[in-house]
Amino acid sequence: MQQRVTLTDAEINRDLLRSINENHLWFWLLIGALGSVVLCGFGAAAYMIYTGIGTTGLNRPVLWGFFITNFVFWIGISHAGVMLSAILRLTQAEWRRPATRAAEVLTVFSLMTAMLMPLIHAGRPWRVFYWVFPYDWARGIFPNIRTPLVWDPAAVFTYLTSSILFVYIALVPDIAVARDHVTGWRKPLYTVLSLGWRGTTRQWRLQLIAGILLSAVILPIFVSVHSIVSWDFGMAIAVEAWHSTVFAPYFVIGAVHSGVSGVVTFMIVLRPFFKWQDYIRPEHLDALAKLLIVVATAWFFFFWIEIVFGLYAREAPEVALREMQMLTPPWSWMFVIFLITGYLFPVTAWMFKKVRRSIKWMLITTISVNIGMWLERFLIIVPGLARKQGFTFSWGTYTPSPVEITIVIASFCMVSMLVLLFSKIFPLIPIGDAKEGQILQDYIQIGKRKVPAVLREE
Amino acid sequence: MHELHHLPMPAVIDLTQKEVAEDIIRRQSEAGPKFKKITSLLAVLFAVGIVSIVMRIADGFGDRNTWGYHAAIFGYMLITAQSAVLVSIGLRMVKAHWRRPLARVSELFAIVGVLNFIIYIPLLWVLPSSEGRLSLWFDFPGNSPHIWDTVTMFTLVITGLALLYFAAIPDIAAMRDSETGTNNGRYKRFAMGWKGTDRQWTLLNAGIGVLGGFYFLMLIFAHTMISVDFSMSLIPGWKDAIFPTFHALSGIQSGIATVIVTLFILRRYGGLSTYIEIDQFWGLSKILIATCLLWFYFWWSSFFTYWYGRTPAEQAVLNYLMVDTYRPLFMLTWVMCFPAPFLILIWNAVRKTDWGPTLAASIILIGQLCNAMRLYVPAFSIEDVSLHSLKVAPPATMPGLLDIATIVGMLAGAVLVYMLATRLIPILSIWEIKEGMLLQRKRKFLKTELRSLGKPE
Repeated sequence: MQQRVTLTDAEINRDLLRSINENHLWFWLLIGALGSVVLCGFGAAAYMIYTGIGTTGLNRPVLWGFFITNFVFWIGISHAGVMLSAILRLTQAEWRRPATRAAEVLTVFSLMTAMLMPLIHAGRPWRVFYWVFPYDWARGIFPNIRTPLVWDPAAVFTYLTSSILFVYIALVPDIAVARDHVTGWRKPLYTVLSLGWRGTTRQWRLQLIAGILLSAVILPIFVSVHSIVSWDFGMAIAVEAWHSTVFAPYFVIGAVHSGVSGVVTFMIVLRPFFKWQDYIRPEHLDALAKLLIVVATAWFFFFWIEIVFGLYAREAPEVALREMQMLTPPWSWMFVIFLITGYLFPVTAWMFKKVRRSIKWMLITTISVNIGMWLERFLIIVPGLARKQGFTFSWGTYTPSPVEITIVIASFCMVSMLVLLFSKIFPLIPIGDAKEGQILQDYIQIGKRKVPAVLREE
Repeated sequence: MHELHHLPMPAVIDLTQKEVAEDIIRRQSEAGPKFKKITSLLAVLFAVGIVSIVMRIADGFGDRNTWGYHAAIFGYMLITAQSAVLVSIGLRMVKAHWRRPLARVSELFAIVGVLNFIIYIPLLWVLPSSEGRLSLWFDFPGNSPHIWDTVTMFTLVITGLALLYFAAIPDIAAMRDSETGTNNGRYKRFAMGWKGTDRQWTLLNAGIGVLGGFYFLMLIFAHTMISVDFSMSLIPGWKDAIFPTFHALSGIQSGIATVIVTLFILRRYGGLSTYIEIDQFWGLSKILIATCLLWFYFWWSSFFTYWYGRTPAEQAVLNYLMVDTYRPLFMLTWVMCFPAPFLILIWNAVRKTDWGPTLAASIILIGQLCNAMRLYVPAFSIEDVSLHSLKVAPPATMPGLLDIATIVGMLAGAVLVYMLATRLIPILSIWEIKEGMLLQRKRKFLKTELRSLGKPE
């Protein structure tokens, strides 16, 4: 049952601009704490670049470790933005309204963070430019465009550009509201950014068309990004368990699973700080949890089918790898933790309405999902490389070094800090959407019962 | 509220609930001369199809190659009719209001599942043992695919029938109580004492939810098992993890296409335009366009990984199924399942007609027939299925007279069974349409009129 709240435009403006207009000590303390960890992360990266990549735990044959796992993880989180915003907009899901902006913003910041990972992983980041620009015209040496490692930056950059546009276009009316409610140095900033928005019919129409066009354009990009990330692995025939036709959709749906969970986590964490109780209500979490059950189960089906077809051909190296992943410690206990935290625990919990509508339990379950999904990426990447193969004489295994652990922890703090800073400058719940939702609320009298209804936009 | 000027006029049926019930029951109990003529023609074609299958059985099960087209029509019915039931289940799960007039149209295809199960039975004698070859069944006994596929298909059919019956109980009771309806006595037995109490409605909704969810699961299992056991595992060296999902997605795409074509016929020639509005075509075509894109994506994920991997086994499979031996069928499939319907449906003005989505759906249905033939016929042509890669690809198998008679006859049989079923159960779900009328109101909003949709949940 919906727990509707009726709010006036003035109340919505006051509530959703609170993060911009009010200054609290806790906010800056939090930013300070997160910023310190981020600084440690950058320090660790600088140390690694100065000292050399030997400071990481990477060793032949495991040359992809924490950084690449973290790269895939953050690319995955970035899939929440389009999933929630574009698809739910197109399907006119009413409950999407408070979640879209947070999802879009999380997309942008997690993409930026993801892109740092391969840069750091390269050891000498400046050399990454050689992927993009030919560095020796005389010898005709060009980037090898036949490798997915070069497709990756193209896809991720396109996604980042379109996501920023997507956020900005939807933000323009809200910036105009902010412009009319602030003073001081922010006034001219909002005036410039609001592009002369006054809410005329023509402006709304143009904004609507731009939103639809961007949604249509961004959807294929959204799918392509994680598909290409999956092909970093799927195109390789030398590593068992990587060369699978199901990798692309398996990665995409897994990304949506972790991304939507990430959005729910952020919404719940920010809810009490910004007093969003009237906007992020149990019914929204309930709907998101139902969506997550479907997404998680589809992902689990792909996961199951990937394993079955890994074993299907009964090739000895592939079977040995699967045994190592699932039955040999330490991989086996990671596998068990991944299964429980990524699927079994949260999905079982979401079957219960009380859990779906509980702020505390939704926070626990969505964090659990992302613990599992991080481990999933780790288990795809590292054991495949670590398995001993014939005629290979380097038998290093992989243990992450403090440098890697610090950088990974800093990446989480960086995304959190950037989202918080964004909320200080722009409203994180769309004001226009919230007002539209209020206008479209209706009731229908059936006998003695007053049924909540919605005026339909088609 | 900037979007409101785009809105079409709200469509809420201008009849009373009683009039709706009487109208649908009256239509259900009357069969015009056209109906009789068409069913007679279909019955003749169906009889020809049955004769062709009997002749094939008389020839024996030794030569698997001769059963390829029979397997293809079985696969096609699974992809189309049996998957069409999913349309109603899916839309009910997401509580789409516009589903109401098409719920029964979709569920009624469960009856075609019975015919498909009969078509499936002879294939059990043709399917080789899973021992000594690659299969989903690893070290299980050699008859595992025979046993478990049969269990799955049987459960799917029974669940579909149970869902159809369960969701029709209030309508059966309406026919029992109707003055215009015939055979009231028979309906009395099947109405199971339905009186519409609160408890009965709660049970009905719970039952529909459970049966729908179970049908969905069984259908995915059926697609997974049938596509691997009857197609992929029979082609040595074909190890394609996405194939079962691709098969299931083909099912979702064709299931929607089947429902759209049926809705078009009912609207244009069945006199049901009062209930089946453009809304239904518009809604379904938006999902259809998404399935076209997904179909391409799944196909591409598989093709690209094989093409890039370029191992001899992968190249042999690509050559056999797409590039060389079955290229014409593959190209027809590809064009008719992705670019052709996509380019039609991309236009909103076309989606908001009944003919546009129907045209795209018809193209998809032909494309999927080619798809079924391209997947099952080559699989049944391989003599030695115990190899680990395709050493020498056999030539393409062309359909003979018996094959054509089987395909045409079984398709006619499917339509016939469906048409006869509409004489037993109303083609439109009366109670759902009535519920929809309760939950919808026209509302004056500024200068326009909108539809207000109740969301009791």
